[in-house]
Amino acid sequence: MPDVSNYQELSRRYGFAPKPESASRLTQLVSRQDSDLDEIAKVIDKDPALRKRLLRVANPDAENEVEYAVETVEDALMRNGMGCVLVLAMGTPLALALTKSFHTMLSLKLEDIDRNTADPLDGEHVLGTIGFSGKVDGRVYLRMNLASARAIAAGIIGISPDELTDPNEIKDAAGELLNIMTGNFKSNLCDAGLDCRLQAPEVNLSSDFHTPSVPGGGLERLAFRAGNIQLFVDVTANPWND
Amino acid sequence: MPTKILSVDDSRTIRLIVGRSLRQYDCILCEAANGEEGLAAAAREKPDLILLDVTMPVMDGVTMLTKLKEDPELKAIPVIMLTAESGRDNVIHIARLGVRDYLVKPFKEDQLIEKISRNVTIKKKEAAPAAVAAPAA
Repeated sequence: MPDVSNYQELSRRYGFAPKPESASRLTQLVSRQDSDLDEIAKVIDKDPALRKRLLRVANPDAENEVEYAVETVEDALMRNGMGCVLVLAMGTPLALALTKSFHTMLSLKLEDIDRNTADPLDGEHVLGTIGFSGKVDGRVYLRMNLASARAIAAGIIGISPDELTDPNEIKDAAGELLNIMTGNFKSNLCDAGLDCRLQAPEVNLSSDFHTPSVPGGGLERLAFRAGNIQLFVDVTANPWND
Repeated sequence: MPTKILSVDDSRTIRLIVGRSLRQYDCILCEAANGEEGLAAAAREKPDLILLDVTMPVMDGVTMLTKLKEDPELKAIPVIMLTAESGRDNVIHIARLGVRDYLVKPFKEDQLIEKISRNVTIKKKEAAPAAVAAPAA
């Protein structure tokens, strides 16, 4: 019988994949309200992907790196605070879960792309949202055009997009993608003591999406591409709610 | 005799993937969309194995598992958690309740089959005999 109070032993027994170390470390640091920005800066500086994402978050209006007004990790942390570190820490397991979902369920290689190089999402599109609340409050927004949503749902179910006639199946597949993404980062948050609960996902058609405003919190805007499929993911978070 | 498996998940997409994974096996798949329906289906169908999600409306998977393990008629049914949540406290709590195994979403179909096979016997369906051409008149 396994020792059911030993998480490491249970993880081995159940065959869990290791969690991304820098994201776990970052979440632990953010969960301490007295965290030292220098310590956080060191963790981010060691991970080129995190560094790149932090500078992208700190320069939301820049079209490319040449236009960055904030150029160092320390400066980005000073200006944007812990909220932006938290969304960075959340974005890593979220992106891994999304990439793995595409690989396992659709046999597609999903790549993280620069939001500015993505084709804009004009007109009516699929908008899925899922909220989480507790010691961290926030929301994840998943957006894609109808053709992408149809291709994803059909691929997961194992039929051709033309055979997919029930719009609820498109909504359900998008909702499950959201569930998988947020479930993975929620585990990271809870492990760091930032307990929160997920709300039920909502998926609708929308032509009126505005970037959420997050006073005092963080916002990261991600984009992904696999062939003709393009996904936009926005993550917002406010830490340290009681 | 076919193996009876109950899939309890609010996502029809996941229930479809489970069904697709099992289509080559001699199994009967029963479905429920939340813990309350899952408990009723477990009592009615007496499945050989339950695949159980955590976050669901009406009644979540942890509550269903707790109630299942309190029921003398149902507590011996092996349960595999099928969820995106693998946080330390949740996993330890669920392990203490007596879950048999745990599979984190997203998963590959062969991973699911491997986990199911560790807990119950599932047999591949026999290939249908090739059609015999009618003799020429």
